[in-house]
Amino acid sequence: MDDVVFTFFGGPRSYTGEDVLEISCHGNPFIVRKVLDDLLARGCRMAEAGEFTRRAFLNGRLDLTAAEAVMDVIRARSDRALEAARLQLRGALGRRIDRLVGDLLQCCATVEAYIDFPEEDLPVEDRMRRRADLAALLAEIGGLRATRRHGDLLREGLRVVLLGAPNAGKSSLLNRLAGYDRAIVSEEPGTTRDFLEEPVLLGPHRIRVFDTAGLREAGGAVERAGVERSLERAEEADLVVLVVDATAPCPTLPQLVRDRLATHAAVLAVNKCDLPERHFEWPFTATLARVEVSAQTGAGLDELRRVLIERADRITGTGSDEEHVAVNARHAVALAEAEECLRRADRLLAEEHPLELVGSEMRLAVGALGAIVGRIDHEAILDRLFASFCIGK
Amino acid sequence: MSPFSKSSPYDVIVCGAGHAGIEAALAAARMGARTLLLTGNMDTIGQMSCNPAIGGVAKGHIVREIDALGGEMAINSDVTGIQFRLLNASKGPAVQSPRAQCDKKAYQFRLKHTLELQANLSVFQATVSGLILDAGRVVGCRTALDVDFYGHTVVVTTGTFLRGLMHIGSNKTEGGRMGDFSARTLSGSLIEAGIQLERLKTGTPPRLLGRSIEFSRLQEQRGDAQPTFFAFHDTRDDAELFHVEHPGQERLGWRPGDRQVSCWITYTSEESERIVRENLHRSAMYSGEIVGVGPRYCPSIEDKFVRFADKERHMLFLEPEGRHTGEYYVNGLSTSLPFDVQIRLIQSIPGLERAEVLRPAYAVEYDFAPPTQLRPSLESKVVPNLFFAGQINGTSGYEEAAGQGLVAGVNAVQRVRGGEPLVLGRHEAYIGVMIDDLVTKGTQEPYRMFTSRAEHRLLLNHGSADVRLLPHADRLGLLSSTRLARTRIKRDSIEQWVDRLNREAAVGGTWGDALRRNYPVVLPSAFEAESSQVREEVKYRVLYQGYLERELRLVERLREVDRIRVPESIDYLTIPGLKRESALKLAATKPTTLGQASRISGVNPSDISLLMVSIARRVES
Repeated sequence: MDDVVFTFFGGPRSYTGEDVLEISCHGNPFIVRKVLDDLLARGCRMAEAGEFTRRAFLNGRLDLTAAEAVMDVIRARSDRALEAARLQLRGALGRRIDRLVGDLLQCCATVEAYIDFPEEDLPVEDRMRRRADLAALLAEIGGLRATRRHGDLLREGLRVVLLGAPNAGKSSLLNRLAGYDRAIVSEEPGTTRDFLEEPVLLGPHRIRVFDTAGLREAGGAVERAGVERSLERAEEADLVVLVVDATAPCPTLPQLVRDRLATHAAVLAVNKCDLPERHFEWPFTATLARVEVSAQTGAGLDELRRVLIERADRITGTGSDEEHVAVNARHAVALAEAEECLRRADRLLAEEHPLELVGSEMRLAVGALGAIVGRIDHEAILDRLFASFCIGK
Repeated sequence: MSPFSKSSPYDVIVCGAGHAGIEAALAAARMGARTLLLTGNMDTIGQMSCNPAIGGVAKGHIVREIDALGGEMAINSDVTGIQFRLLNASKGPAVQSPRAQCDKKAYQFRLKHTLELQANLSVFQATVSGLILDAGRVVGCRTALDVDFYGHTVVVTTGTFLRGLMHIGSNKTEGGRMGDFSARTLSGSLIEAGIQLERLKTGTPPRLLGRSIEFSRLQEQRGDAQPTFFAFHDTRDDAELFHVEHPGQERLGWRPGDRQVSCWITYTSEESERIVRENLHRSAMYSGEIVGVGPRYCPSIEDKFVRFADKERHMLFLEPEGRHTGEYYVNGLSTSLPFDVQIRLIQSIPGLERAEVLRPAYAVEYDFAPPTQLRPSLESKVVPNLFFAGQINGTSGYEEAAGQGLVAGVNAVQRVRGGEPLVLGRHEAYIGVMIDDLVTKGTQEPYRMFTSRAEHRLLLNHGSADVRLLPHADRLGLLSSTRLARTRIKRDSIEQWVDRLNREAAVGGTWGDALRRNYPVVLPSAFEAESSQVREEVKYRVLYQGYLERELRLVERLREVDRIRVPESIDYLTIPGLKRESALKLAATKPTTLGQASRISGVNPSDISLLMVSIARRVES
């Protein structure tokens, strides 16, 4: 991932008075994110705002000199953090988060209305509608969570891997996409033994196209190692283009490739469609995007570019109908927490558990989103409640 | 020695004998403090100025907490109740709550008699005209009779009486309640002492004559066949019919749950809406006569038709005011329309076409003292030894008032004795949530308790109030030794059964697993032999185990900051780095703990960090 420096501060003489491990990594935001994601996956959690100072305080470690220095840092850091958070939440992301919080509060208010005002003439309680509300909230949270990678993808470039049997024409296709002869093309199958990487501009996207060694079972040790590496590339790829030869029968594909073909992150390019003999028959019924091309004549290349752009849009969330947003690690953690609460709320509704438990989960979800937009006072739920229901005795 | 003597002051003087004042006076006297309760009118002690009911969701929880802390409201409601219903039975055990219609007269007569019989307590009819201050502290109060009363502490529970102004259409009458007076000079005295006052508004619907109502055309709402009571001890036992802890002469009341009466439901008509709309300009609220802010949860009928225009009709409850009266309270028809419009409006309602009005609806505006001027003990930050409780703190409701009154009474005694005040946590009691909200955030409308205000409401189920609050009742001596012992036994049985059901094997795991998975199991017969209170609480704790543990973890995380005290002398404006805006908010509220500081709206975590550093620095130097 990165070469990092670990610095261990043993308690009680550390800043907080507890054992502290500092990890210094390279400043690249992509690396920082990777490190952070890895730590979170291993069970670490983000510090709450002010948590380090609080721990230092509770452990009696905030002495006079430290205090002087710390005050300036807290102010400066919180100003910066505030500014950064404000910038992040400006524009499309801010609007979507606001709408999400609003919808969640509204759903909460509806549940609370039935709890706090049983004597009122409210519409009949409708658990199916609450579940529909929750489904909509979950879909939006899922959508927002999925944008977590968008920022990195845009910065780093989408990885598109050309995969296929030897001599299917992967290298010719790379040259076509790159616009010049990047790869050595030869009649001899298996010319590309390792992989080649080439940056290519594709509409609004900067992508990295990888040409890989052809997949075949036979061959020498060197070639088998090449196949291995091709599959590794494919596994990491954001998008796989399976290149097949229209004049040859369908090749046997490793399971990994077949799995990938079942997702949206794959395109089938049937090459050599200019040649008269056709032996290729697609054996799968999947709704895989299929483009007929000829790397030789350039036929179908525009269509392939169009399909690739459409897929890239989908993956990076830069589709024309929706504004581009990307959540950061902190947002993603909060969204995941809210998602979990709402899933539990939905299950409680489905299984006919008391409404008070549903309400309890929903309020935890509100609390989780507070980590993004700042503490949400429970008064906000009451505001919605009184605005939506005629309560009054 | 004369009770009026300056040289032998009372421990506690309570001004006002409403729901707050009564609990304050009883709590103080029962703790053994020399207490004086002043009321403007002996005949309206414990008056239910609005609806003839106690309890309901969240409010009923408060009443049970009052009982757990030795207060009077629960038992008084039980023995003067004429209809009992458990609300929210289907929404889950934590938000279920008892509610009772009470006989208004019996309710107040019994309270009056209880006060008369209470040792250490004197009751006297006098209008308080002002505070007596000495070197900035309160030392007593002055009455309209020009008699001065001296006390170490004073609890102000004046309700809506401070510059009360009633509105019916364009008609304005001074008074805190129809038929009663308005305390005019006390406001001035409070302002002079440095206490800030603002205006609020509330309202009450008309009362109708029973024999003029066609009940056959209304929908009947009966009480529960198995009534749920507020008091934790069984008041139906003949030997305990009247308050077992405070024996004395026989007091008014009956076997709780006996001879229940019904409420009746009807709806407004299209004609009602037309009448209201055509006369909006004559409503005190819509013509701009009223400046005070009214509660959103208790809108006038004008508001309902205007703000929720798509709603065809509005539900109304006719509630009987007692056994020995034909007066009915029209719940849901609060209004400040003029009297002639009120009559036409009522007669447009099915079943009420020939109804006779006994008392008109009216709106009332009054002074309240924004409660952010109080400490969590309900003592004024401005005037030492002065406590506030009830509607003067901007709340609404008998139960909210009584809960505060009890806390203020206890804390006045603790002030005199130099003891630790009673401050209930948000995870311990609805009363704790209410007081924390009031002193931390203040209120913009009459504050009413809702379960949604309590973030840890799963911990605050009504059935656990006695066990939950036992440590406080014990420490402060609020319960008799008999009751303390009984509650301890109850607590121990609950804990033992929870432990046993979670340990002992049954079908497909432990008893607890079986209950949580809703398997049909026959629980041990020894368990079924326990009281229903014990069984219900055990089942609640077993069924909700995971949820309750999660709540407790959340509470624990917050508790450490709640334990850190903020020095009173701290000058927020001089804390380096603290934004002026935050400093002003903190200075206005003067939080007592870091936890409270963090709950002030607009105060963010970095402000709290700065505050922490600043506290650490003071400790250091």
